[in-house]
Amino acid sequence: MSKAKNIFKIIILSLLGITLLVHFNKLPLQFEYANSIYHHITNNAVKETGSLNFVTAILYDYRAYDSLGESTIIFGAVSGIVLLLSRKTLPVSSHGLSFIVKRTFGMLTPFIFLFGIYIISHGHLSPGGGFQGGVILGSISIIFSIVYGSEFDYKRYSPTTKTLLETSGALLFIGLGLLGIVMGGNFLVNLKILNSGVGSLISAGSIPFINIGIGFKIGAGLAIIFYSMIQKTFKEEVNL
Amino acid sequence: MSITLILLIIVPLATAILIPFVDVFSNKARKVLVGFSTVVEFSIGIFIILTNFDKIIDNSFFLTYYLGGWIPPIGITLSMDMLSLFFSTLISISLLLIVAYSIGFIGHHEGKYYVLLFLIWAAMHGIVLTGDIFNLDVFLELLLITSAPLVAFKRNRNGTEAAIKYMFYGTIGGLFVFIGVVLVYFNLGTLNFAHISQNFGSLSLYIQKTIAFFFLIGIFIKMGIFPFHFWLSKAHSACPSSISALLSGVIVKVYVYVFIRLFWNVIGFDVLVAAGLDHIILVIALISSIIGHVMALYENDIKRTLAYSTVANLGLIIAVLTINTKLALLAGLLHVLSHLLMKVSLFTATGYILQFTPSHKREDIKGVAYKNMLIFVGFTIVAGGMIGLPPMIGFASKWYILKAFMTDGYHLAAIIVLIGSIFAFVYYIKYIITGFKKMSLGPPDKFRLILTVFYREQVVTDIALFFVIAVLITGIFFKVIFGPIEGAVEVMQNSNFYIDYILNI
Amino acid sequence: MINNLVFVILFLLGFYAILVKKNLIKMVIGLNIMEGAIFYWFISITDRGGMIPIINGTQVTSQMNDPVPQALILTGIVIGASTSAFLLTLIIELNKFTNSTNPDQIGGMIED
Repeated sequence: MSKAKNIFKIIILSLLGITLLVHFNKLPLQFEYANSIYHHITNNAVKETGSLNFVTAILYDYRAYDSLGESTIIFGAVSGIVLLLSRKTLPVSSHGLSFIVKRTFGMLTPFIFLFGIYIISHGHLSPGGGFQGGVILGSISIIFSIVYGSEFDYKRYSPTTKTLLETSGALLFIGLGLLGIVMGGNFLVNLKILNSGVGSLISAGSIPFINIGIGFKIGAGLAIIFYSMIQKTFKEEVNL
Repeated sequence: MSITLILLIIVPLATAILIPFVDVFSNKARKVLVGFSTVVEFSIGIFIILTNFDKIIDNSFFLTYYLGGWIPPIGITLSMDMLSLFFSTLISISLLLIVAYSIGFIGHHEGKYYVLLFLIWAAMHGIVLTGDIFNLDVFLELLLITSAPLVAFKRNRNGTEAAIKYMFYGTIGGLFVFIGVVLVYFNLGTLNFAHISQNFGSLSLYIQKTIAFFFLIGIFIKMGIFPFHFWLSKAHSACPSSISALLSGVIVKVYVYVFIRLFWNVIGFDVLVAAGLDHIILVIALISSIIGHVMALYENDIKRTLAYSTVANLGLIIAVLTINTKLALLAGLLHVLSHLLMKVSLFTATGYILQFTPSHKREDIKGVAYKNMLIFVGFTIVAGGMIGLPPMIGFASKWYILKAFMTDGYHLAAIIVLIGSIFAFVYYIKYIITGFKKMSLGPPDKFRLILTVFYREQVVTDIALFFVIAVLITGIFFKVIFGPIEGAVEVMQNSNFYIDYILNI
Repeated sequence: MINNLVFVILFLLGFYAILVKKNLIKMVIGLNIMEGAIFYWFISITDRGGMIPIINGTQVTSQMNDPVPQALILTGIVIGASTSAFLLTLIIELNKFTNSTNPDQIGGMIED
């Protein structure tokens, strides 16, 4: 019975593979379409948005609504994970790693934090942005949990703090969008405030602020996910 | 530029984000917030209908909103025409009542439940109002990720298994839709519905068929049509009854909207006809309908029977939509409305009934009719509507579906609809008879677990009764609904209207 | 040509992992491989052979690589990561009930 099922699965796979290959090889090799949005964006992005990084301009200005949907997906995943895994028990700590590792990370962690902030804030000048920098910030909480024990992480940033950080980041994003409506434009229009010329740090209107909001939201979200997942796994290790 | 379109999406989204924020400070504020934003969201929907009432009658109703101030196709646009208005009204009304039902059924101690419910509301409105194909993909994934934790809400083994299957199938469906988006961008260079629809004819027929194929596979996996229906019955029955009503009643209809929008306005139904795919879709949908009815007959558990009935009716809706005459499209949209009302009504009544029984099996439903005769009579009436008896609205929609099949010569399909009705009669009667059997002197009501607080029971029964009455009233006065549905059908058949309004405004 | 072949091989590898492997975590890895294959394919077919889309002082915008797929793929990566995180949570929950990660515990993917 299971032999038949295996053969059936391999037939499905090979049919799918042949279909995909045959269809895709008939696609044109050249990608050139006169009506494409590529032309408009690469010709006008610097003038219209003020950011040197075109990918950031698309993500946080032309298609900022997609970034709103994407950060809501992370928020929904975090809520779902907390719904399923959280119990009102006190965190049980592990011993953490050895002394050398603890000392090394004691010296490294501020630099990791600085690096994360650098990537978030320079999103419009170099590769980076809110999502990438947010992941780096989230990894600091994960480092605390692994290297120093989850009780240390609980005392430093309790889950309440992380929830407040996450929701503040999300509210900052939506607030900037609504501010666009209040100031007479449409939702998520690029407010050209505090603009000091293309190429400097304070430029590109509201893009750095959206980056900051998203960075905190992603960082806190990843920290909450990790903390919820390890909550019950240290019980056996305590009596080591 | 009507700002109400973006408010329809932002109000539930902001509420969902504010609930954990407010929860840290005070518990009572959270309850007030939930009630307040439900009312606000519903009244925005009423406001849109009232302020544009003359345009709705006149059939020239169209609202747009440019996000970020960028004109299409550079930016994302939101748009609402009669089809979107139809689905948006259905979503708002049913979600308002499901939130109220949940306050009674689940209570207030689980805050995250309401966060996810409001996120589902925002995601559904995001899908119905969008005008951009990648935005559609993002919000489809949002709908999947926020409805999966609610499937596993009961935290027992059944729910977790159902949620894992649901997530796997849903993610693979989303991947196929994403392949379709990749192909569209590679060939056309744009991501806007109207712009794609305008330039779609300039591609070679082979590429058109490939793009249509990928979108079709993706949306069929997410909907639960024949070869991919294995997750649906478990997922819709392992969750609490309010979530079953949401999943079976409302979320599958949003996928029907995506199917209609992609294949009538963006890709154009003539591509499917040229590829011969419309006959294949008809056959697959009819097979799905038969399988749904047959498996419902075999099931011994009331919620799984209702879930398989959803598979069957969904296959029927897709089958009648592919015939593509005006009568068939009218019948399809009418069945969307009637199935939504009837399925939500059945699940809300079942949720109340099942608190008296130790398990969900058919033998344990003995004698529930005498616990609350009104609700069980309501259940019987709506079950009669699902079978197709007058004067419930199920009769009107099945009548129009049969008429659409017969006037175009699809006699086999009409026979399948009738056989399906007979099967539905058999499996509903089983439960109704068991419910009316007199219970022998058994143990007293020791299963009254959930609804011991008086106002919760009142809310739950009131909402279940409201849906029964809605089924009856819409069944009697269904000619009134025909006006908006005809407007929606007009939009489906005439995509130039859509293109003109978005691109030349 | 070679782009399509590599994409199909990676996509089928991921799909093979979902269908055949007897471990739920390997199925999640297979899902990630499928998503990665689509992202790789998207970038490689829309390549124009130009520079990265960031102005660095002396860039010419006429032959820049396309920034739109990069933005879409960033969104796709985040979506894939949240989906995998949630699936792994569900697997942790299932492990508490059955003490194994065999998909036969949930009745297999194709049966009911």
